[in-house]
Amino acid sequence: MAGCPLFVGTSGYSYTEWVKAGFYPEGTPSGRMLSFYAQKFPVTELNYTWYQMPRPEAVERQRSQVPDDFLFAAKLTRTLTHEVDAHGWKKEAAAYREGIAPLLQTGQLVAVLLQMPPSFARTPDNRKYLAALIDALEGLPLAVEFRHRSWAAARVFSQLSRRRVTLVSVDAPNLPGRFPPMVEVSHPDLFYVRFHGRNARGWRSGKMHLQFDYNYSDAELMECIEKRIAPMAQRARRGVLFFNNHVRAQAPENALRLIRLLKARGLTPA
Amino acid sequence: MRERFIIHINVADFAATLERRLDPRLRRRPLLIAPRGTPRAVIYDMSEEAYQSGVRKGMALRKALRRCPGAHVLPPQPHCYEKAVRMLVKQALPYTPLVEVPDSRGHLFLDVTGTGRLFGPPPALAWRIRKRVRAAMGLDPIWSVGPNKLVAKVATRVVKPSGEYIVGAGEERAFLDPVPVHLIPGVEAEEVRRLLELNLTRAGEVARLSEDQLTLLFGRRGRMLHEAVHGIDPSPLFPLSHAPPVVTVTHLFGEDAHTLTALERALFSLVEQAGAALRRKRLAARRMRLSMDYSDGIRISRKIRIVPPSANDFALFPLAAALLKDTWKRRVRIRRLSLTCRRLTYPPPVQQDLFLETAGEKHPKERLIRALDAVRSRFGEAAVRTGRMLAA
Repeated sequence: MAGCPLFVGTSGYSYTEWVKAGFYPEGTPSGRMLSFYAQKFPVTELNYTWYQMPRPEAVERQRSQVPDDFLFAAKLTRTLTHEVDAHGWKKEAAAYREGIAPLLQTGQLVAVLLQMPPSFARTPDNRKYLAALIDALEGLPLAVEFRHRSWAAARVFSQLSRRRVTLVSVDAPNLPGRFPPMVEVSHPDLFYVRFHGRNARGWRSGKMHLQFDYNYSDAELMECIEKRIAPMAQRARRGVLFFNNHVRAQAPENALRLIRLLKARGLTPA
Repeated sequence: MRERFIIHINVADFAATLERRLDPRLRRRPLLIAPRGTPRAVIYDMSEEAYQSGVRKGMALRKALRRCPGAHVLPPQPHCYEKAVRMLVKQALPYTPLVEVPDSRGHLFLDVTGTGRLFGPPPALAWRIRKRVRAAMGLDPIWSVGPNKLVAKVATRVVKPSGEYIVGAGEERAFLDPVPVHLIPGVEAEEVRRLLELNLTRAGEVARLSEDQLTLLFGRRGRMLHEAVHGIDPSPLFPLSHAPPVVTVTHLFGEDAHTLTALERALFSLVEQAGAALRRKRLAARRMRLSMDYSDGIRISRKIRIVPPSANDFALFPLAAALLKDTWKRRVRIRRLSLTCRRLTYPPPVQQDLFLETAGEKHPKERLIRALDAVRSRFGEAAVRTGRMLAA
């Protein structure tokens, strides 16, 4: 679609390493980072909501630090993706809805990210669970990121499309078994891209400082624009793009560079 | 100052949870942990159901059983809990050497400042430690991340019995404001009562008073209260390998005490014991703390600076007596006195008194103490007593 606005940001913003790298002014406490961040980017992906069930008062506090048109994507809590209790998960889903409600009410919630673990394969039980989870979160803008390649199937995409759920397109090291990079737009309201970096050696080390230590080159970003972002922007009303290579503050630098490259390419970053 | 990241790991109802892990049948009924066979037993720990029925730590067992009649009572097994704490520490040590174990009740503080590049953001690390604890011990601890120990501790209290909480630097006030004032560490029961009288129930309401106003109400404690409700706590962690040396002596009254004579006698005995322990270590104390446990389970503690640092019973006693006056404010009998000497230093004192007259006075005391120590080391502790100890 012509003029599809593209919102570029980073996965999380609260990293003390970014102070050292100069992205935040010296001495910025973590509680004040968001207001600085919002001066440079129009969107962020809240990753703390994976560790901690969001609470309305905390979410509202964050919202009050940013302009009204700033957008949030929020990860779904681990108790609904990685540590699911077969009996208690529905209560968790209800708590999540309540916690995230301030962003939904103000129209600043661009997506809820369902990041499924690498072990989450396309088995009958997992399919049923995912369908039930999507139903339980109905009304929220949902985006699902698969890590297991068994989900790369036309039937999955059509089901997501029917349920108006965005399929997340991931840029990560090209390793066997992983979910392939896709240009599929399953929901015309939104496409969602996550850049994890391409550090193949560190990816399965279990160590964050190796896994997400990567700096995208201009050529790699241009290739992403041509092969993925531009085609997806043709088919969606808006797009969000997040950099997760946070270790040495490459993420904000790469995101700012991507914004410049998108502009040069004639696309419309927000 | 560099932003600090303190993780607090808190296994809710530690003793009760451990007992239930050892014997799953205990899950069927509310569980109270309290010594048996003593009429004055107080609650050491309890399960969540008992807590919901109104049972609290330090409550008399009889009262607890009235509130929670069907409860099962087990005696505490401190060695078991200490062993579990050591296991808990083992799960945290791979990530930071700065682990503080404040007690044997399933609490750990971890300073993970500066480990971000190595282990990821502090919440990720806290989650990983919780996962290790679950896998190794079958316990599911509450965790929090805060900019200091005080905030991290309140955060786990707020989410009890399960969950997690992340508070960033700069968010202390926003986080603490709605918290009931009795959940703020360091605020004592008497102070909570006084604040309630003033209709101040939440930390945010107290935080609206200036430090001067709080000093007017609470004297020297005003500053501490002011800092606590603002989430200010610069205290460092005391890691296991660097636990500060302290001398603690305790007196448990056979019959709950209520007369000055009985209290002073017990206190002097404590001062004698502490003084002797300090002198044996060849150290002098710079701080002294007196904790008084009333028979209704309420504990009040006060501390005082010792200038110059001392290990002399006769110098310590007037200070201890001042602390006694400060802590003995209620018309309730007293069950236990505990005296702790902290901030130990090596004598001679850093600064001697300027005037000879004053300095001269000390010598007889020093000589007396040396003589007493010499007699006692040869003929036993009871060989020589002060008149105060012999008074009826």
